Amino acid sequence: MVFSEVPPTSKVRRQKIREFLQSVSLEMSEDVETFVVAKEEERIVACGGLSGKVLKNIAIDESIRGEGAALSLMSELLKVAYREGRFELFLFTKPEYQEVFESCGFKYIEQAHGEVILMENSYAIEAYKKRLRKLRHSGDTVGCIVMNANPFTLGHRYLVQEACSRSDWVHLFVVKEDASFFRFEDRYRMIEAGVRDFTNLTLHEGSDYMISKATFPTYFIKDKGRINSLYTELDLAIFRHHLAPPLGITHRFVGEEPLCVVTNEYNMQMKRRLAEASEYPPIELVELKRIAEAGEPISASRVRGAMKENRWDEIARLVPQSTYRLLAAMKEEVE
Amino acid sequence: MNTLHVDIQPAHAGTLESSDAFVRVMPNDRAGVEIELESSVAEIYGDAIEASVLQTVLAMNVDRVKVMIQDKGALDFVIKARVQTALLRALGVSEPDWSTL
Repeated sequence: MVFSEVPPTSKVRRQKIREFLQSVSLEMSEDVETFVVAKEEERIVACGGLSGKVLKNIAIDESIRGEGAALSLMSELLKVAYREGRFELFLFTKPEYQEVFESCGFKYIEQAHGEVILMENSYAIEAYKKRLRKLRHSGDTVGCIVMNANPFTLGHRYLVQEACSRSDWVHLFVVKEDASFFRFEDRYRMIEAGVRDFTNLTLHEGSDYMISKATFPTYFIKDKGRINSLYTELDLAIFRHHLAPPLGITHRFVGEEPLCVVTNEYNMQMKRRLAEASEYPPIELVELKRIAEAGEPISASRVRGAMKENRWDEIARLVPQSTYRLLAAMKEEVE
Repeated sequence: MNTLHVDIQPAHAGTLESSDAFVRVMPNDRAGVEIELESSVAEIYGDAIEASVLQTVLAMNVDRVKVMIQDKGALDFVIKARVQTALLRALGVSEPDWSTL
C-alpha cells in the first residue's frame, strides 16, 4: 500500500475519493480538509479524513480488510492530525468498529441507540469532569443553560434571569464551536458582559463534549430521517451521563421554540431523555416562554436580520446595552 | 549535572503496525511520569514494558510528562527507541545526549 495526502484544493483526486466511498456505500463528508488515501496498483483501497478535531470518512475496501490495513491507515491519518497540532481527536463510528479503533488508542465515550458511538483518543473527558467537579455548588436546584447566543439578546438575558431566580446556582455553558455568524470569543464576551450582575452563576466555556450538529457526521447513517434523533440522543447522553453529574445539575432551562420545528422537536426529546428512568439522576427540563417586542418574539436570528438591514433602532430594543455596544464596536471595526 | 526538562510539546513517534509501537508524549500537570500502556501482550509483558519506558524517560530527565503507548508486540529496544524519539521531538532536540542512553 502506498499512502498519500489529498488537500482540499485537489478537486480531481477528491472526486476519486468520492467514487471510492460510494463503492463502499458511504457518502463523502464535504467538511473534510485533508484526506489520507491508500492505493494499490493505482487504485484507492482505503481512505480517512481530518475535519477539525474529528476523523471522518474512514473506509477500507473489502479486498484488503483486516486489522493490518486499518492500523496502517490510522497511523498515517494520526500523523497528519498531530502534524496539524490536533492531539485531542474524536471519531463517530458504528458500534461494531469500536474494537478496531480501540486498538488505535481511541476510547469509548458514549453511544446512541446502538447505532453510533463517540470515541476520543485522549480521554480528556475524565480530566474535564474532574475540573467540573471543582466548580460544583450545592443546592436543591442547580440549573444549567447551554447557550449559543448568536448574538446575546434580551431573550437570552430573560432566560438567565429566570434560571437564576429559580435556582440555587446556575451553570451557563457557551457553545464553543465556531459554526455561527459570531465567533466564539465575541459570543462569550457578549454573554459575560450581559450577565455580570447575577451572583449565583458560573459561566463556562463550552467543550468538545457538547457536540455540535455541524460536526456530527451523517455519512454512515443510512436512514437520513434518523440523523436528528441520533444526534440529539448522543448529545443528551453525554450531557446527562458525563457533564451533569459532576456539577450536580437538577434542572436544564431552555427557551420555548414556537417558530423552529427542529428545535421544538429537540426540546421535546430533551424533556423525555433527561428524565427517563436510568442509573443517572433525572434532570427536569424547564421551558420558558419567549419574550416579545412589538408583538414578535425576540430571537438572535431577528437581530441578525435587523443588522443586515442596518435597523439599529430596532436592535437597541432587542439586545441589552452591553451587546449593543459590542455590536456597534464590531461594526465600526468592519467599516 | 543534568537539568530536569519540564517544558515539552506534545509529540509522537512510531506506527500502529504489527511489531511496532505508537508512542505519544504530552505535558502533564502532575509531577512525575504517567504511563498509559495498551499492549497486545500486556498480560505477560505489561509490567516489564512499563518499567523499561519509565527508565527511558528518567534517563532523559523529562518530568511532568504523560506517555501513551499503543504497543503492537514490539520488541523492547523498539519501544525504547520510539519513546526516545518522541521525547526528543517533544523537547525540540535533534540529537540525543548519547552518554545518558
